[in-house]
Amino acid sequence: MILGILSLAPELSWMLIKVLVCIGFLMLLAPPLTWVERRGSAMIQDRIGPNRAALFGKIKILGLAHVLADGLKFFFKEDLIPKDANRALFWIAPALAFIPALLGFAVIPVGRSFELEGTTYHLSLIDPNNGMGLLYPLAIGGLAVYGVLVAAWSSNNKWSILGGMRASAQMVSYELGLGLSVIALFVTVGGYDPHQVILDQVQHGWYLWRQPLGFLVFFVCQFAETNRLPFDFAEGESEIVAGFHTEFGSMKFGLMGLAEYVHIIVASALIVTLYLGGWSIPFSRDGDSWPVLATVASFLAKLLFLCWVFVWVRWTLPRFRYDQLMHIGWKIMFPLSLINLVVNAWWLTR
Amino acid sequence: MAILVKKVQLSWWDRLYFPAVLKGMWVTFGHFIRQLLTPTSKRFTIQYPEMKKEMPEGYRGLHELKQFEDGSIKCVACFMCQEACPARCITIEAEEFSDLNFTQGYEEKRPKIFKIDMLRCIYCGMCEEACPKDAIWLRKDYELAAYDRLSLNYGKWDLMNTYAVTDGKPVQSEDNELPPSPPRNFVTM
Ligand code: SF4
Ligand code: SF4
Repeated sequence: MILGILSLAPELSWMLIKVLVCIGFLMLLAPPLTWVERRGSAMIQDRIGPNRAALFGKIKILGLAHVLADGLKFFFKEDLIPKDANRALFWIAPALAFIPALLGFAVIPVGRSFELEGTTYHLSLIDPNNGMGLLYPLAIGGLAVYGVLVAAWSSNNKWSILGGMRASAQMVSYELGLGLSVIALFVTVGGYDPHQVILDQVQHGWYLWRQPLGFLVFFVCQFAETNRLPFDFAEGESEIVAGFHTEFGSMKFGLMGLAEYVHIIVASALIVTLYLGGWSIPFSRDGDSWPVLATVASFLAKLLFLCWVFVWVRWTLPRFRYDQLMHIGWKIMFPLSLINLVVNAWWLTR
Repeated sequence: MAILVKKVQLSWWDRLYFPAVLKGMWVTFGHFIRQLLTPTSKRFTIQYPEMKKEMPEGYRGLHELKQFEDGSIKCVACFMCQEACPARCITIEAEEFSDLNFTQGYEEKRPKIFKIDMLRCIYCGMCEEACPKDAIWLRKDYELAAYDRLSLNYGKWDLMNTYAVTDGKPVQSEDNELPPSPPRNFVTM
């Protein structure tokens, strides 16, 4: 049946399927990720974690019902808007935080392109060779700071503002290291199309091994970009309460939380594509003979592992102080990425 | 004079951070795996309603009024516990009785009303110390919850039956001669 619809309006329906699957995937993966976060952190800290919520009072399924209960609870909570808040901005802030997080996934190929009845199908939302390539998710990622900033500004709360300012300062300073480390990669590849990057890695090995320094900088900066510990400066229980989302309640807060997890997934997808060979299967160089589903599985496995690393790191490291963060951003990450770029450029012209 | 705080000098290896980070991640990973592979019953967390902690010897929990084998109360209403109680939460009213069939029969005195306000009690165990007849004991039960204050004002019947189920004894039926004690309203799960 799917093939039948495909033959009617192939382009459009293929696009539709891709959009539904991709967005659905992101939306469906984010809530279980909260579960992974809660249970995983519990395991790391020798606790047990949430395990009480049960479907129909019976089925506990390792606490997965908490995800449902949380979602449901968000919908039934009173939706408060502070008296002096900027109502319009307050309303769109969660969307501003959520949509850029979601959009970044568009150019990431989740599997090998395949041919069917003479048409080539690409497993990324936007077909390759579109001129944006991997610059697009980076640019969109930069937009994410607006969600935080607008949320902070609109709630008219000093804690929020402090959190928002901190987050934006952090994002701006980490964007540099991020960009420069990726430029080194693009220079080596000779292009910034995701397919090009992946094919290059299929032939010559992962960039994780070829540019470990670049990977390190990119990875650390992605943590700052996603506002995760050890760089979670937008919030801070002991100093500025919940930071930029102090005033948000009900589903608005839920969306903010969801945005963080979607951000993690997209950041993981970016790292996988850039440094872990995307959908390529490890220990194999024969790119054209891989089954499409195997490549998708490979991509997903890497993605999920990285998501877990995000959780894992959060529950391992203490957070930095604000000045330490700036210090690391400007005095360590930025020079490191510059060195990485120069060394790689020199290596190419040698 | 101000206290001089000595600044910790990190070695270059420490200042690389990443070895330390990797070490930390290894530690947390170890904890994760260990916790994952430990069966729930062996973990540190006591999952309360299903699992209960074994209270140590000498724990002072809810009181029990002891009985003889035939079920008659050991207490002779001597008021010692009432006097000893620092929280003043014991109320006793004595009655005379002479039923020689009972073990206690020769004593000819027993409480008509024996009430302990469990909300005022501080579980100090003074009543237990003071009792000449070993008739009142503080035992290991600590689950005390009710919907109103009155039902935590335990009467004689409550005190004699607090542990009946735990001990496997038959629950004492309510004596007709005694005024009815307020209903004991445990929240049972
Ligand atoms: S335990 Fe202490 S406070 Fe409670 S009834 Fe006995 S003497 Fe009174
Ligand atoms: S419980 Fe013991 S101390 Fe208290 S009145 Fe009875 S016999 Fe006396």
